[in-house]
Amino acid sequence: MSAIQFKDASRLFERDGKTFPALENVNLTVADKEFVALVGPSGCGKTTCLRMAAGFEVPTAGRVLVGGIQVPGPGPDRAVVFQQFALFPWKSVEDNIAFGLRNKNMPAEERRRRVSGVIKLMGLESYETAFPHQLSGGMQQRVAIARAYVLDPQVLLMDEPFGALDAQTRIVMQEELVRIARVNPRTVLFITHAVEEAVYLADRVAVMTRRPGRIKEILDVRAIRAAENWDRHERVEDVMDLESFVHLRTHIWRLLRDEKFALDG
Amino acid sequence: MDVNRSPLPSKVEAFFLGMAGLACFVAIWVAVSISGLVPRQFLPTPWEVALRTFNLLWEPFAGASLPVHLARSFERFASGFTLAAAVGVPLGLLMGWFRWLDDMITPVFDGLRFISPIAWVPFAALWFGTGLGGPILIIFSGAFPPCLINAYRGARFVDRTYIEAAQMLGTGNLRTIVQVLLPASFPAIVAGLRIGAGLGWQSLVGAELIVASAGVGYMMVQGQSNISTRTVMAGMIAIGVVGLVIDVALRQLEAFVRRRRGLR
Amino acid sequence: MHISRRLAIGTATIVTLLVLWPVLTLVTGTIDTGRFPSPIQFWQSLRQIVTVGYADGTLWQHAIQSLKLVVMGFVVAVSFGIPLGLLMGWSRRAEAFINPVFLLIRPIPPLAWIPLAILWLGLGDAAKIMVIFFAAFVPAVINTFTGIRMIEPHIIEAARMLGTGRSRLVMEVLVPGAAPMIFTGLRLSLQASWTTLVAAELVGAITGLGRVLNVAQTDIYPAMVLVGMIAVGVLGWATTRVLVSIELRLMPWLSVRA
Repeated sequence: MSAIQFKDASRLFERDGKTFPALENVNLTVADKEFVALVGPSGCGKTTCLRMAAGFEVPTAGRVLVGGIQVPGPGPDRAVVFQQFALFPWKSVEDNIAFGLRNKNMPAEERRRRVSGVIKLMGLESYETAFPHQLSGGMQQRVAIARAYVLDPQVLLMDEPFGALDAQTRIVMQEELVRIARVNPRTVLFITHAVEEAVYLADRVAVMTRRPGRIKEILDVRAIRAAENWDRHERVEDVMDLESFVHLRTHIWRLLRDEKFALDG
Repeated sequence: MDVNRSPLPSKVEAFFLGMAGLACFVAIWVAVSISGLVPRQFLPTPWEVALRTFNLLWEPFAGASLPVHLARSFERFASGFTLAAAVGVPLGLLMGWFRWLDDMITPVFDGLRFISPIAWVPFAALWFGTGLGGPILIIFSGAFPPCLINAYRGARFVDRTYIEAAQMLGTGNLRTIVQVLLPASFPAIVAGLRIGAGLGWQSLVGAELIVASAGVGYMMVQGQSNISTRTVMAGMIAIGVVGLVIDVALRQLEAFVRRRRGLR
Repeated sequence: MHISRRLAIGTATIVTLLVLWPVLTLVTGTIDTGRFPSPIQFWQSLRQIVTVGYADGTLWQHAIQSLKLVVMGFVVAVSFGIPLGLLMGWSRRAEAFINPVFLLIRPIPPLAWIPLAILWLGLGDAAKIMVIFFAAFVPAVINTFTGIRMIEPHIIEAARMLGTGRSRLVMEVLVPGAAPMIFTGLRLSLQASWTTLVAAELVGAITGLGRVLNVAQTDIYPAMVLVGMIAVGVLGWATTRVLVSIELRLMPWLSVRA
């Protein structure tokens, strides 16, 4: 059991001696093996939600639970993929991927097997001994995802993982993520500000209000995907062309615009 | 966001930890001094040092009181530093602007860089004896490189668009240097002055230990030959304090210049 | 072309200076050879100190003595300085505790420790090493400390997420992460070590390049002073090159950027 639960989670942050609420009473459940995308206007606190689930930050009120237990701190059971990749520049691709397994004291033979398995999965063959600075952004993010995947985590936390990539690479990565997720589904919390990306990837999309953030609405994409059979299309652009997709996307855009107007108006 | 997992200590906690650290340091000092592990003559207690420093404020030692020694030292420092800045900054700017000048001087400069300022002391003594020229040469050789390098970097890496705007407006070379390059490089220049001042002050101390008849360094050497550890330590404190004051003053200047520029 | 023009002008300048040297000293007499040696005097002194010796030793012996002390002082200073910098960089508590004492010691110029060192340890090697220690220690601590603080926070977070234990965190994340700044600190420490050693030897020593300089000064022997200065410069350059090559070997991922 590896569901993520946000129960009335709130968080204050401090700047120049004053405190501001970043999140207020966030209530959200990501069910076991469910893929939930979290979208919202910038600064709404969606990254903070992820960081609380990861254990890098603690809620100032309310609770954040994973697998029924309050999050104690960061750990390999909740693998994180960062927007900035956060690879170790002094380690090769395979050493970066193997690092977490070494921390688990996994025997060398099994480690090698797992690492080469995930290298194949992410299309990183022939780059094993390369260093991060020698790779493009897309390749680096693949390594970061591989590093998280090799841990076989219960929970995968992805913080705008494709944000630093150019548009074409982004599409390729989205297709790959869908492919991998189907093969080996696990609980995923995916942060993005790109609505189409969220709708394409997720089972459900949670929309947040502007700061102080709270959940505005949750949309069930899975039902629509199944009903309209989006999976018959392999290419992202074909799926995004479907009427049901467009409706969903536009609906979320309208929700976000509400928030923006509330900000300016 | 902190590097490790433990919560950041609050300002109050940090303050008390700091006090505790200082207290430990003083306690160890006092303990070693009083216990007689080291003869009292060689490790006076902190208050004995403080007392001696206080005394030296008017009581002469090795020819003059502490403030007079400091004044002599500072005089030399000021002369040497001013010279280093007056030569280094304009030269650096010119080198940044005229590429051929850069090509000419940099190889020579790079070669001389490895000879530390202190190694100039014998020549300084040979050429100037105990006169003012000696220390000035030493201070110059210490303070000059940072002044030059920073002015050079400031000029060389100045935003191209300023230069282009000046050229478009038909500005001659000299005017461009004085009215565009110089102001644009100001933050770098001031940083260079601060570093140069620090190195210059340090070089002065070194010079005075070896070749001087007045000044704080000289006072310390005399203290050492007379086995007056308290005097030596008083000198160290005085040097440290003055060096700190110079550094803080220049840091303020640097911060002021940066704020005026809207840099952070 | 750009590069060769630079090389040409630089070479031309140096050649000009090298030509002016004998001309101004020997031919026109503009430079008084009682103050600055001619090339011939320089060469003669060099031969003297290499073969017969000067100030109780040959050039080789003096150089080895100085080099020995610099290396010893440097290694001791860095062995204490880097771990302390790591500790202060990692733990805000340790930083708060140690900082005031450090701030007290810092403004005292390394050379100002010389009289105290002589008072405590005499004119021998120990005093020199003590002074070099204080000179090399400070840059090592400060740069290591800054190096740790400059590590991208997400890298530390990633390491924690991956369940990294403490010793592995230090050895495989913190030290490599701070390595560029640590090496900058090492270069500064080395520079400070040489400066301090020469000064200490100038004040009082039995052998060493500083001693050569000192005796040459008292003997009013400018040619030997020049020999000493150049010897110091060469050794300083050589040791720095060794350090830089170690840096490049250990950090291949940086040399691409350089």
